[in-house]
Amino acid sequence: MDNGMESMLDTYLYETNSLLDRLDEMLVADEKAGDFSSDDVNEIFRIMHTIKGSSAMMEFGALATVTHHIEDLFFYIRDTGIDSLSQEHKKELFNLMFRSEDYLRGEISKIENGEPLIENIDDFANDINIFLKKISGDSGQDETAGNDVPDADSVSRDVSLPDDPGAECFLHVFLDSGVGMENLRAYMVANAVRECGIDFRYYPQDMESNSAASQEIIENGFFFAFDSQDAASQAVDILKSQNHISSYEIVTPEVPEPPKEAPAVVPAPAAGPAVPAAPAPVTGAAQAKPAAQVKTGAPVKQSLISVNLSKLDALMAIVGEIVITESMVTASPELQLLPRDSYDNFMKSGRQLRKLTDDLQDIAMSLRMVPISGVFQKMNRIVRDMKQSLNKDVRLTIIGEDTEVDKNIVDSIQDPIMHLVRNSMDHGIEETAQERIDAGKDPQGELILSASHTSSEVIISISDDGYGMDPDKLLAKARDKGLLVKPESEYTQKEALSLIMLPGFSTNQAVTEYSGRGVGMDVVKRNVESIGGMVSITSEVGVGTTMTLKIPLTLAIVDGMKVTVGSSIFTIPIANIRQSFKVTPEQIIRDENGNEMMECLDNFYPIIRLHEFYHLDTEVLSMEEGIVMWVEASDRSYCLFVDDLIGEQQVVVKPLPVFLNPFNLKNYGISGCTILGDGNISIILDVLSLHTAAIENV
Amino acid sequence: MSEQVMNQNENETRQVQEESSSVERCLTFESAGLVLFLSTNYVIEIINGYPITYLPLLPPYIKGIINLRGQILPVVDIRICMGQSDMADSSGDTSGQSCIIVIDVDSLPMGIIVDSVRQVMDIDLQDVRPIPVKRQQKLLDGMVTLNDGSVLMSFDCHALAECRY
Repeated sequence: MDNGMESMLDTYLYETNSLLDRLDEMLVADEKAGDFSSDDVNEIFRIMHTIKGSSAMMEFGALATVTHHIEDLFFYIRDTGIDSLSQEHKKELFNLMFRSEDYLRGEISKIENGEPLIENIDDFANDINIFLKKISGDSGQDETAGNDVPDADSVSRDVSLPDDPGAECFLHVFLDSGVGMENLRAYMVANAVRECGIDFRYYPQDMESNSAASQEIIENGFFFAFDSQDAASQAVDILKSQNHISSYEIVTPEVPEPPKEAPAVVPAPAAGPAVPAAPAPVTGAAQAKPAAQVKTGAPVKQSLISVNLSKLDALMAIVGEIVITESMVTASPELQLLPRDSYDNFMKSGRQLRKLTDDLQDIAMSLRMVPISGVFQKMNRIVRDMKQSLNKDVRLTIIGEDTEVDKNIVDSIQDPIMHLVRNSMDHGIEETAQERIDAGKDPQGELILSASHTSSEVIISISDDGYGMDPDKLLAKARDKGLLVKPESEYTQKEALSLIMLPGFSTNQAVTEYSGRGVGMDVVKRNVESIGGMVSITSEVGVGTTMTLKIPLTLAIVDGMKVTVGSSIFTIPIANIRQSFKVTPEQIIRDENGNEMMECLDNFYPIIRLHEFYHLDTEVLSMEEGIVMWVEASDRSYCLFVDDLIGEQQVVVKPLPVFLNPFNLKNYGISGCTILGDGNISIILDVLSLHTAAIENV
Repeated sequence: MSEQVMNQNENETRQVQEESSSVERCLTFESAGLVLFLSTNYVIEIINGYPITYLPLLPPYIKGIINLRGQILPVVDIRICMGQSDMADSSGDTSGQSCIIVIDVDSLPMGIIVDSVRQVMDIDLQDVRPIPVKRQQKLLDGMVTLNDGSVLMSFDCHALAECRY
């Protein structure tokens, strides 16, 4: 494969994958609702059509065939209306669609890996056809009639105008030779015309559903019947913007000869434009108008593009430099030499530039962030599949799916989350609804998937309301397997629960399709730790289990409050701040070691003087001059004494350089740093670890 | 005739290759009263005028971090590493000559503060001899005498990156 083909393949894979994602999303949502909306039927039809077209182009014949059959099926459903299907059929249709999606995904991943595709897809295609027959058979004989009749009379109709007494004129269209799937292309042309609001009929009438019509279209072209000449000439405009049309001609029924002769002279349009195109000179205006019309009628496209990550990084670097250079220019001392008026003007433009560069920086920074919803949506599908195969009734609740996470992290947490969801479905939720009722729970199990941000971490939790885990059982099991490293009595509940994350520990006796091989939790832990995160488990017997993943953000946007201490600027995440106030020395209470405390809302909290803890030089030493910030993180709450507040700002958290890792600043309240608008660096405080370092370890 | 020329050319290129195997382009700079050199393979750029953000709780030779076009780099004052803390204080970071050399050691980027940068020159690594003093400097791993009689010390940036000092 040469380079051009390679990049086409990339595009094909990307496009097909995103279409399948979209399909999956729709199917899961529709199945929940128990019905297809007509919009979705149209959308599925379009998706299948697109995949079919591009697969055929890339010469993946089997894929094209399967999608073609599905397209046929959805065309039928679209035509007859989804309501004509019985509940049972709908259910079957869902299963069929999920199966198809899996098949398509399987094939696509084979293409990605360069493996050979399954060429024999007759069984699968048959299933789809049987289903189509079944629903069409049930809902009347129209379909069979539609299928058979045109086949029968296509020969007789070969060279004559279609029988349409109401039509004032016909448009006879030939497609380029050898484009493939002529019937569908003809149908697409018809659709394009229809989207512009022109009323017409087309022949052969069954061209989109009957692939046998292809041959006929190849040989004789196809017809549009219009009620007026105007409509016909409008349609001609539209045809000009369509691809793959070799020639067309307006024919009025009074003169039936031309269409008769054209095929006679040229048996196939392969010989090129035998019928001369309507000789309308192509003017710019004529071209633009139909194009605009087509656009308004076209389905709304996903407004996303894919960009190489390294380009984003390069963009970030350049934007950073622009910001620095901008402040260098506007702050340069030479400006003071300018006359008053010009200086003011200059500063005005300077401020404008500043605003723009700020916006630019914000946008550049947000580019790498993607919502976690993509990962969560996939879980929908897993829960749905397992629900069926395990025969458990579970609802999945998703919270915080719009939490934004760095792209790299999203990619690497998908597998761990999937494992955890499977575990919860398989082992967490009770086997039967009766068991749940006996335990006094809602017969429908619940699985909650939630994501949220803290200052330095993304917290993803997967909780179920199932059996819960018994620490004693876990300990006993670990003892049997010889995994204990200290006396059983010394294990805390938390440590006991963590035992399940040891390699080779599986609580389930039987290995199921989904989990129970004793590698799951071990792998989850390793994967999460490899991106610097941690897994923790809380569980209560009979109530449920919650698995929490804490993953540090390599690049997350945080709302922060900037404070100064001496010449350093610190950023405290707004989420951690409860209040900030001025304090008089009288409000300070000291313990016997001189540690300061103060009272807030009837409780006493310790005060940490940031300049003392970090040994910073500052002139602000007395309580009146500085400011006290009351901060809080999980269950710790305390006050920080700083020099001054600068203001609030959204900042991008950057990790400290790797070189500094040996010094463990993370354990001393410094979780990262951020670059401020003027190019200066601010240190981001981790309220929790600062407390640990300053108060608990003294 | 043309063949001969070709052969000559080949010989020449071979010679050049042989030479280049041990000759490296090196950046020479002054720090703590010594003249040091460092292969340009490690050097990314030389900057000055960047504000250094102080980070608390770190050893004194780590001056802090700088923002180099959105990239956060640690800055090390090698004068303090080499036990010249008083000199570093007196010369300060503001003196006109001192600057930061940004180096990349095994894709670990960092900045080192030096008194001044001299020039880039070719140094034959075969001429570099070990430092004959027993308690040698931990950040220096060799010395070389130039034709004009001056002595250069080889700066070991790997030692710096791996905190072997």
